[in-house]
Amino acid sequence: MYDLIIIGGGPAGVAAGVYAARKKIKVALIADSFGGQSLVSADVRNWIGTKSVSGLDLANMLEGHLRDQEDIDIISPTLVEKITKIDVGFKLFTNDKKELDTKTVLVTTGSHRRKLKVPGESEFDGKGVVYCSTCDAPIFKDKTVAVVGGGNAGLEAVVDALPYANKIYLLVRSDKLKGDPITQDKIKNNSKVEIIFQAEVSEILGDNFVTGLKYQDTATDQAKDLKLEGVFVEIGAVPNADFTKDLVNLSDYGEILVDHKTQRSSQLGIWAAGDVSDVIYKQNNISAGDAIKAVLNIYDYLNKL
Amino acid sequence: MKNVTIYSTPTCVYCKMAKEFFSKNNVQYQEFDVAQDQKAREEMVEKSHQLGVPVIDVDGEIFVGFNRAEIAKALDIK
Repeated sequence: MYDLIIIGGGPAGVAAGVYAARKKIKVALIADSFGGQSLVSADVRNWIGTKSVSGLDLANMLEGHLRDQEDIDIISPTLVEKITKIDVGFKLFTNDKKELDTKTVLVTTGSHRRKLKVPGESEFDGKGVVYCSTCDAPIFKDKTVAVVGGGNAGLEAVVDALPYANKIYLLVRSDKLKGDPITQDKIKNNSKVEIIFQAEVSEILGDNFVTGLKYQDTATDQAKDLKLEGVFVEIGAVPNADFTKDLVNLSDYGEILVDHKTQRSSQLGIWAAGDVSDVIYKQNNISAGDAIKAVLNIYDYLNKL
Repeated sequence: MKNVTIYSTPTCVYCKMAKEFFSKNNVQYQEFDVAQDQKAREEMVEKSHQLGVPVIDVDGEIFVGFNRAEIAKALDIK
């Protein structure tokens, strides 16, 4: 039986793994992949101590630091599908049919991309509908695209598309942009970019590939059409907390509710940190710090068992 | 030796991961940058019926995206 199993390989999971290994407790880390959501970023400029690093290099740095620890079992690529409570602690079930017992669990599984859930979206996934703008922006050279979402991810998708697309519509649900002012300035002054506020996407149109998009102008309550070849969906994230929902309390957004002093969930023995938790600010540096906080609290808890 | 082709863009992380995987396992491959190469882009769409990268062709078997386990299986890598 393990003292602690950490689930997830992003900044939170890796930070927890490094700290837990150095505490010499019996610990395992189970991860599907390493690096977290920044993996697909072209350039991360706010990972403290590093002026500029690509998402892939950051992922390799994190994985390398973790693998340098002697006292931790790293189980990867593996997904945890289910957790159940047992007499002392918990039993974890993985996608490769393993069962692992542990006294405590730290959930750092992050989140995944939210979908529009409109007709045409799944039909044209990969056929003009894009969830990784960094990856696929160059395919849309000299084409017209729409970016959906006015937060940071949406603004950055516009920046990704700028060198390639000849026209970029930015569709925003509210009446203002939410992303960083520094990125807003970059796109507001570009003649290729047209920002459409109060736009609710209702359908993605196409034949073999995307040919257009329908949206509702909520200011005038009119249905409108755009002709375009690409739709970059950047409307936020859904926490990967589903597999814990029978054991812990979740927020309305599906995040694991934690005590922010200790990162404890509503279930004694389960902690959570990073984007899967109800932390207000979803940031790599914060995820790492919160996960460390969790491990220190888990260490105290184990010592009192 | 199987014939391996990857269609990629310079900014695509999963393409880089796939190429690192090939190098690590001594897999020779041909690469097309579909951001620059219009003909390769058309070829990629024809093979995969979609626009996302990477597309990996292993002896005519087409993979969209980089799934390490699937590609390892196709290349008989353990």
